[in-house]
Amino acid sequence: MSAPRPADMDMSPAKKSIWRNLSFVWLVPIAALAVTLFIAWQSWAARGSLIEIRFTNAAGITAEETVVRYRDVSVGLVEKVSFAPDMESVVVSARIDQNVAANLPPDAKFWVVRPEVSARGISGLSTVLSGVYIEASFDPSPGAEAWSFDGVDKAPLVAAGVEGTRLMIRAADGSSLSPGSPIFYRGIEVGRIETPRLLDSGEGVVVEGFVEAPHDRRINSATRFWDTSGFSVTLGAGGLDLSVDSLASLVTGGIAFDTVFSGGSMIDDDQVFDLFESEKAARESVFSDVIDNAVKLTVEFDESVSGLSAGSPVQYRGLRVGVVSAIGAFIEDTPDGQKVKLRATVSIDPQSLGLEKDVRPAETLAFLSDAVKGGLRAQLAAKSIFTNTLVIDLVDVEDAPPATLGIFNGEFPVLPSIESNLPDVSATAEGLLQRVNDLPVEEVMDQAISLMASIEAVAAAEGTRSAPDALLGLIEDARGLIGSDDTKAIPGELRDTVAELRSTIAGLTQVTEDLQTADAVGQLVAALNAAETAAEDFSGLSAELSEAGAEVPALIDDLRALTTKANSLEVEQLVSSAASFLEGADRLIDSDDTRALPAALTGALQEAQAALAQLRAGGLVENANATLASASDAARAVATAVESLPALSGRLEALVRQAEGTLAGYGNESSFNRETVAALREVREAAAAVSKLARAIERSPNSLLFGR
Amino acid sequence: MEDTRTAPPVLTARAAGLIGCTQCGRVQEPGAERCVRCQSLLRSRDEASLQKVWAWLFAGLVVYVPANVYPMLRTSSLGKTSDSTILGGVVDLIHHGSIGIALIVFFASIMIPVGKFLAIGYLALSIRRQVSLSDHRRHVLYEVVEFVGRWSMIDVFVVAILATLVQLDFAASIKPGIAAVSFALSVAFTMISAQSFDPRLIWDASEGDPA
Repeated sequence: MSAPRPADMDMSPAKKSIWRNLSFVWLVPIAALAVTLFIAWQSWAARGSLIEIRFTNAAGITAEETVVRYRDVSVGLVEKVSFAPDMESVVVSARIDQNVAANLPPDAKFWVVRPEVSARGISGLSTVLSGVYIEASFDPSPGAEAWSFDGVDKAPLVAAGVEGTRLMIRAADGSSLSPGSPIFYRGIEVGRIETPRLLDSGEGVVVEGFVEAPHDRRINSATRFWDTSGFSVTLGAGGLDLSVDSLASLVTGGIAFDTVFSGGSMIDDDQVFDLFESEKAARESVFSDVIDNAVKLTVEFDESVSGLSAGSPVQYRGLRVGVVSAIGAFIEDTPDGQKVKLRATVSIDPQSLGLEKDVRPAETLAFLSDAVKGGLRAQLAAKSIFTNTLVIDLVDVEDAPPATLGIFNGEFPVLPSIESNLPDVSATAEGLLQRVNDLPVEEVMDQAISLMASIEAVAAAEGTRSAPDALLGLIEDARGLIGSDDTKAIPGELRDTVAELRSTIAGLTQVTEDLQTADAVGQLVAALNAAETAAEDFSGLSAELSEAGAEVPALIDDLRALTTKANSLEVEQLVSSAASFLEGADRLIDSDDTRALPAALTGALQEAQAALAQLRAGGLVENANATLASASDAARAVATAVESLPALSGRLEALVRQAEGTLAGYGNESSFNRETVAALREVREAAAAVSKLARAIERSPNSLLFGR
Repeated sequence: MEDTRTAPPVLTARAAGLIGCTQCGRVQEPGAERCVRCQSLLRSRDEASLQKVWAWLFAGLVVYVPANVYPMLRTSSLGKTSDSTILGGVVDLIHHGSIGIALIVFFASIMIPVGKFLAIGYLALSIRRQVSLSDHRRHVLYEVVEFVGRWSMIDVFVVAILATLVQLDFAASIKPGIAAVSFALSVAFTMISAQSFDPRLIWDASEGDPA
């Protein structure tokens, strides 16, 4: 066996270039690299964005475990749970899928789903085992990409994106309104309510409700809500009436609504509905006849409108002229910050105001505008004392600060309002009771008792028992005084005096008339002249004159005696009054000559007695004599009467003093005594008055004549 | 056993111009283009062998990265979902005290693949460069790599079995992650890479007869 010879070398050609030598197998790592890079890029690109959600607490949330779900699909994972810088809240950082994050609007709601057991059922049971998760609710808005959110405590009433209408419902209390209670329309659940919350004023609760489309079309301004929770039992003539709504509403409460009259208008965004306690009340609340051609106004109130509801009447001087169609709240920016005002929308019936039925609204508004300028204002008023139901009163205020009907674009005109003077019945009653309570009733009673005791003591005393007798005597005395002849005679004497004086005046008048008619002065002057002439002529007849002069002293004596008699009457004042009376008579005569008469007369009488006698003019003197005599009689009669007057007053005085003396024994403090003394003082005053009258008559008897 | 380095050169089949058919094993006469028995194409050496080795090795390396970065298992238990990577799983096991299992997983999923990469790379480099390891040892190394390679699939099998069996809906469910696929590919690629290696090249180099 030969050694194997080497084979012929099969020389390979020159080495090919590395590229030409490249095997197709290299495509494999390239493909692997490409696929890996693609996967890496894809997973990085789909990594999601980090968002922050702030919660008050992070109960149950665990980093890297708690997921974020949207429509029950996991869309993210919590990466980190940390505190906000101010430690006031917990910031949950979660990585959300990119496609979801791109659609997150800033108002997206996040809440933690926990197991919950309520009357409505059990929810979130799956979280018992799996732990809590964060549920998101939002209305996808592409391109929003918000990344910071405030978490909410509870699941929102309505999932985002559900069509419907949100409403505010006002109720007196929230006991029958539990969160999530259903809203029924003709027994069909069409919505839910949220958690009731107290009004800032504490005078009621408001609850937000949501009615899903398309049922929200049923709601307009004619809609009324009422409470259907619980059951009602009415025992009446018709028998026992038991009304129970659905069992669910019996447990959780619920409200129902219906449109109770036709012709309601679209509701405003800030419309607040009232919750009536029963369907009956809701239906009765409606102003049954809907106003034709109504003019709508708004009235703003600063004060609480608790008690005012849609359907409350609007009155003008007690006449119903309209109805409150809606009540809403709005926020007004004031220098002191934002302020919530309440605004009632009222429908005014032009017909009630006396306008034509088909009047144009502009005319009604013009009429109202004038009325407002004249002081028309809206005011809240209580419907009755015992309820807090309110009405809106249109009142005319006299001194109202000037205001006008505020007409703004797009809104109803604003009728100015004034503050109401609603009586706070409870406060008033309380104040009254407080005042009654403050009365010193017990002290008064004590004093009354002690007064009674002292009266009893006084009555029991000996002196008091004899008092009636003394009084009787006093009265008897007084009666005797009044019944005495003297007293009775006073008027008669006075009458006589008056009559005599009257006749005196008549006499004097007669004299003056005689003097007048006879031209006595002229005759006297002439007579005097004649006497002078006669004296000169008959100077020789001095003997005769002497004789006559012998007769004159007698006449003078007579006159003097008369004067003395008059003087002795001691009624100088009367005389002077008589003189003034005579002066009055003089003025009546109104003649200087006549005024000079007495002096002239006296002189004439003195000087020409004889001559006159001789001239047989004695009739005149006799007349004068007679006059003077009657005057003297009259004066005397007056004097007599007057003399008895002081005696009368004196007796009265004495009587009073006696009575006073009698009573002085009864002790000074007794009111009985005081009253008796007062009575006696009055009697004395009467006596004093009588004596004053007497003195007045004494002083000026002519007052009797002239009635002064 | 005599040292191969000092052993006298032997006449190899290649030196004798003989070509063995790689398909049916029949030794062909020199100059034959095709196997007389099975008609397959005859080549003394695969010139692209090293290229294939490198290519598949790179592909295996590339997919090995996501195999370790991405989660191998996605376990959902009572609503909680947790992802676990290979290394994370090992750490979890250590935390749970199962150090033995952790070692097995670590060995099968980390040590073996990485060792294979290194070994294949070393063998491929050793063809063109002078290395200290003897040809014989390198051949042993090659045999070990080829034998062990398939056992790396143990991880993938575990994942596949778990994902199939543990589907208890809410209570527990296991899904394979991206890493499972990547890891399987990586193992497959390195196996192909090892297969592509022609061990005869080891001996060729020592005979100073480069291919």
